Amino acid sequence: MSRFTLDQEIRLIQDEILLLGSLVEQAILNSVHTLQQRDKAAAQRVYKNDRKINAKHYAIENHILITLATQSPLAGDLRLLAAVLVVNTELERIGDYAKGIAKVAIHIGDSDFPIPMREINMMADKATSMLHRALGAFVAGDLEAAYSIPQEDDHVDELYRSVYRKIVECMIKNPQYIDVANELVWVIHNLERTADRVTNICERTVFIVSGESIEFDVSDDELME
Amino acid sequence: MKSRFHLRILWPFILILGMSLIAFFFLYPFVERSIQQHAAASGDVNFVPLFSLFFLILTIGLAVGLLVNIYYTNQHLTILEDLTDAAKELGDGRFQEIKFPENVGDLPEMRELAEALQKTAHQTEEQFNALNKEQTMLTAVLGHMTDGVLIADDNGKVELLNATAERLFRIENDQAVGRSVTEVMRHYSLVEVWEKTKNGYPETITMELGSAHKFLQVVGINLKKDLPGRTMLLFEDLTQTHQLEIVRRDFVSNISHELRSPIAGIKAISETLLDGALDDPPAARRFLVRMDSEVDNLIQMVNELLELSRIEAGRSSFDFQRSKPCELINNAFERMSLQAEKAGLNLTQNCPGNLPQVFADPARISQVFSNLIHNAIKFTPEGGQIHLEAWKDENKVVFMVRDDGVGIASKELKRIFERFFKADKARSGGGTGLGLSISRHIVEEHGGKIWAESAVNAGSKFLFTLPATAGDSQD
Repeated sequence: MSRFTLDQEIRLIQDEILLLGSLVEQAILNSVHTLQQRDKAAAQRVYKNDRKINAKHYAIENHILITLATQSPLAGDLRLLAAVLVVNTELERIGDYAKGIAKVAIHIGDSDFPIPMREINMMADKATSMLHRALGAFVAGDLEAAYSIPQEDDHVDELYRSVYRKIVECMIKNPQYIDVANELVWVIHNLERTADRVTNICERTVFIVSGESIEFDVSDDELME
Repeated sequence: MKSRFHLRILWPFILILGMSLIAFFFLYPFVERSIQQHAAASGDVNFVPLFSLFFLILTIGLAVGLLVNIYYTNQHLTILEDLTDAAKELGDGRFQEIKFPENVGDLPEMRELAEALQKTAHQTEEQFNALNKEQTMLTAVLGHMTDGVLIADDNGKVELLNATAERLFRIENDQAVGRSVTEVMRHYSLVEVWEKTKNGYPETITMELGSAHKFLQVVGINLKKDLPGRTMLLFEDLTQTHQLEIVRRDFVSNISHELRSPIAGIKAISETLLDGALDDPPAARRFLVRMDSEVDNLIQMVNELLELSRIEAGRSSFDFQRSKPCELINNAFERMSLQAEKAGLNLTQNCPGNLPQVFADPARISQVFSNLIHNAIKFTPEGGQIHLEAWKDENKVVFMVRDDGVGIASKELKRIFERFFKADKARSGGGTGLGLSISRHIVEEHGGKIWAESAVNAGSKFLFTLPATAGDSQD
């Protein structure tokens, strides 16, 4: 076993994870954009693009398994590769959330339901910004960032509750929109879950650096829900 | 030249001197005995004193020779040592600290060595300075470029990142150098451009970067001719251009819509008239009145557009004169009070008498007041209040039109001065959407500033400033 080869493989895998992260990040932003623009064709492109994300996910998984089998990593390297396997899955799931939002955009089509786009855009921007920084911290082993990023999840939760209330109010006033409103709840749910998955990525960063498996506290507000 | 004494060169001379003295003292008895025996046998004169003298002269000569030799050797070693120090400074690139020995002795080889070293130092310093200057220029150019620059090698390791690219990717050059392009750029489209360019297929793309929503044009350049194995990516920030493009698109879309509505009305009326309404004079008259009103709308819009275009192009003439702020407010108040009354609104004014005069074109400022009060009337429910006020703020006078109407959402507030922008399209029908844009231009032509403060359902305040003339107050 060559130390150099193992290091090189790990760096390649980390780069692949960052690329998958950027694909997923863009997919979330694009899906929300298609919803805002009521652009069915673009939403279909985002929906189909999920195949690319899945293919990348499997390629990374394969790369990790081959590295585990051929390089027999130990200690920190083993922890890192095990963590990358988990993060890879988290990213694939976030990709599915983007696909879900694109699906809603296709269903809603030209409906004149007043979508609270400002808050939804804010949720998407916040969640993708958290994802971007969390992956940077994961690759750099930045413990400080790994502890601070999950705290921003509260902001996304707050936005979720605010949009949820707006949608429900609109649903009560206009029962004819119940279907569309229900679909929109899925959109904000997916964005809220994206931020939650970012928290899981941060937990894996802590695991790589310290070897500890921790779980960031769920805020009391969320427990009350 | 420093004067130093090199002890290490003494030992051969001391050895030779010692050997000579030992030889003298050891050999002297044998030589003396031999000479005396030879003199006794032959009856010749005694040569011993002569022999001693010879040895003495030889020893002194040797000692003097040694001392001279020590002096010269020491001198040359000192020069060599100074030249070595100079060569070391040259090697370290400390050109200012190089000191060549003033006296390099009489040896031509030593002089040549010193001259050659001096020449090398001079040339190296010149080349170094030229390179330094070039490097400084390059750094300055790269540092002040509005475009981002990234250079990476064939293995995908970043070698250079300029200041703009540092800001774009939120990473400093020192941290980025040696890292992979993926780790630095963090976007699959950018990595794709790098890969294609590296493989000899340079590409240019336009893309949106992440949650920061920056619009970039990325140009890949293969540097194989100048820097083999290197690829350069240029990033041009098109965010502002993109926003302007949105404004332009909105403008075209708005103007088309605004022109289409009255034209469609006129078309419908003319068709109705042609279809037989002409034969019914009372109905025909009603239609013609409506047609006239639509044409008036069109004329107003075209006039306002022309006016806006003239002001924007700086072709509009202004008749600036010393004006009393309270007169400006009062004129507007009197002209608009009837309209406000009809709408069931209470129009009030408050203007302190001691305000300084302003330098303004009264007709144009009246137009600004008309636009602002007209908007306030339109967006304030019956029974509401519209208040006009002016006060002094440093060297300017602030004018305010305040209402307690429906207000404006914060995200729309920054766009209301754009051409054709209507905050509430459903309720603002009838207007051209050009009034606030024209008002902004008029106020800015006066050297003032216009802005709005508002929140939904909390009323609106439109404020503008005009520069006060020096000295007097109006009353």
